[in-house]
Amino acid sequence: MSRSKRTLLSLCGLAGFLGLWELALRSGLLPGSLVPLPSMIPGVLWAEIADGIWLEVVTASLSHYAVGVLIGSLLGIAVGVAAALLPRFNAVHAWLARLLRPIPPLAWIPFAIIWFGINPSAAAFIISIGVFWINYFASHSAVRSVDPGYDEVARAFGHTGFMSRLTRVSLPAAAPGILGGLRAGLGQGWMTVVAAELFGIPGIGQRMMEASSLLATDIVVVYMLTIAGLYALFDFVFVSLQRRLLRWQP
Amino acid sequence: MSAADTAIPVLNARGIRLGFGDATVLDDVDLAVHPREFVAIVGASGVGKSTLLRALSGLLSPRAGTVNIPHGQDRDSRAWSMVFQAPRLFPWRRVRANVELGLEGLELSRDERRQRALEPLALVGLEEYAERWPHTLSGGQQQRVGIARALAVRPRVLFMDEPFSALDAITRRRLQQELIDLRQRTEAAIVFVTHDIEEAVLLADQVVVLGRQAAGQPAGVVARHEVTLPTVERRDHPDFADQVQAVEAAIGEH
Repeated sequence: MSRSKRTLLSLCGLAGFLGLWELALRSGLLPGSLVPLPSMIPGVLWAEIADGIWLEVVTASLSHYAVGVLIGSLLGIAVGVAAALLPRFNAVHAWLARLLRPIPPLAWIPFAIIWFGINPSAAAFIISIGVFWINYFASHSAVRSVDPGYDEVARAFGHTGFMSRLTRVSLPAAAPGILGGLRAGLGQGWMTVVAAELFGIPGIGQRMMEASSLLATDIVVVYMLTIAGLYALFDFVFVSLQRRLLRWQP
Repeated sequence: MSAADTAIPVLNARGIRLGFGDATVLDDVDLAVHPREFVAIVGASGVGKSTLLRALSGLLSPRAGTVNIPHGQDRDSRAWSMVFQAPRLFPWRRVRANVELGLEGLELSRDERRQRALEPLALVGLEEYAERWPHTLSGGQQQRVGIARALAVRPRVLFMDEPFSALDAITRRRLQQELIDLRQRTEAAIVFVTHDIEEAVLLADQVVVLGRQAAGQPAGVVARHEVTLPTVERRDHPDFADQVQAVEAAIGEH
């Protein structure tokens, strides 16, 4: 199938879905109180933007998101790489990691509130947890599966120190896996951003809760699409960056 | 090079013993390599040739014995370097940056490092590939970059671990010839591991044969053969086949 044909079919699928949805509501097959009319969404989005609410909640969510993703990614990569390279550290942390890993990020909400209060730091903390684990596992396994032959080459050419081998072999060789983890983390961050705001921290999640309590389903859908759009934008930018960093790959 | 220099070995190994787990694989290996000498180590597969090379270089510690590669106070060269069986270029570095690997950590400015990388690349005929990614090169070209990477550090001893065995026959022949030509232009002594006896006789001044005196015993040096042929056009020399046979006979007895 050619690329243009595939794009056309994808477009038809999306348009068909929206068309059926619109039709089902207009024909009375679905009650209007359950879902909004798709054709009304652009107008509602415009109203939110004109009121200044859209920018305000998006900025608030983005700031939790950015801080959470940044901290979670950096820590996840640092711990994952260290565990893969340092056998003693790996042994010390192994059971602790196994104990903490299955705890869902949202289960940390009580502690987030106790430690940080109901403020943006608490949301960033919740977001960082999910992002941490994704990056931890991705970088751990990426570094572990680096061909030991590269290490031998580094040693044969005088690079025997830990930092020298880390920067010359481990990190560049594991970069595809580490970047894959980062990308997955960017997605995971959006999954938790809404939930982390449900307990009263200003942002997209809180706005959606307000709207749903007023049965303003059109506003809820506007922010669902906002999240989808922001995710697509971030992912697009990241993939371009990733392609540039990994241009050495065949 | 004066006569006094040639008298001092650039590599001196005494009583090397190597093993895995409880087993001793190699025992009591002595080897002296002199400046600009080409020593080939041959033997059946599994006899421990590559392991011996790693012990000689210090990549691996021997169970017993000593290796000495005297290296002065030079801060712009290395005592030794190695060409591996697979080229093992870093795919995330361009060709030139791969050749610079061993130069990082030496006392060289960025420009000097760059220059020192381009020289050996020119020597192996790949100067115009300097800014390419390794995966865009053929297997033979990649191995040439591996040779350039090893030459860039101006080693006193160049270890080569079956460097041509993974190449097709035509490329192998070409690289063998290039190595013969290269010897005129490098100061390095070469220790070359191969299972190909013809290749050993073609390239080396001295062929060291590893083998076992009896089954179940650790291997050791069972013969040393001086190749007494001119360095050029060896393959066409009337005595070439005889010398190959002499080494084959030494292996066959063990």
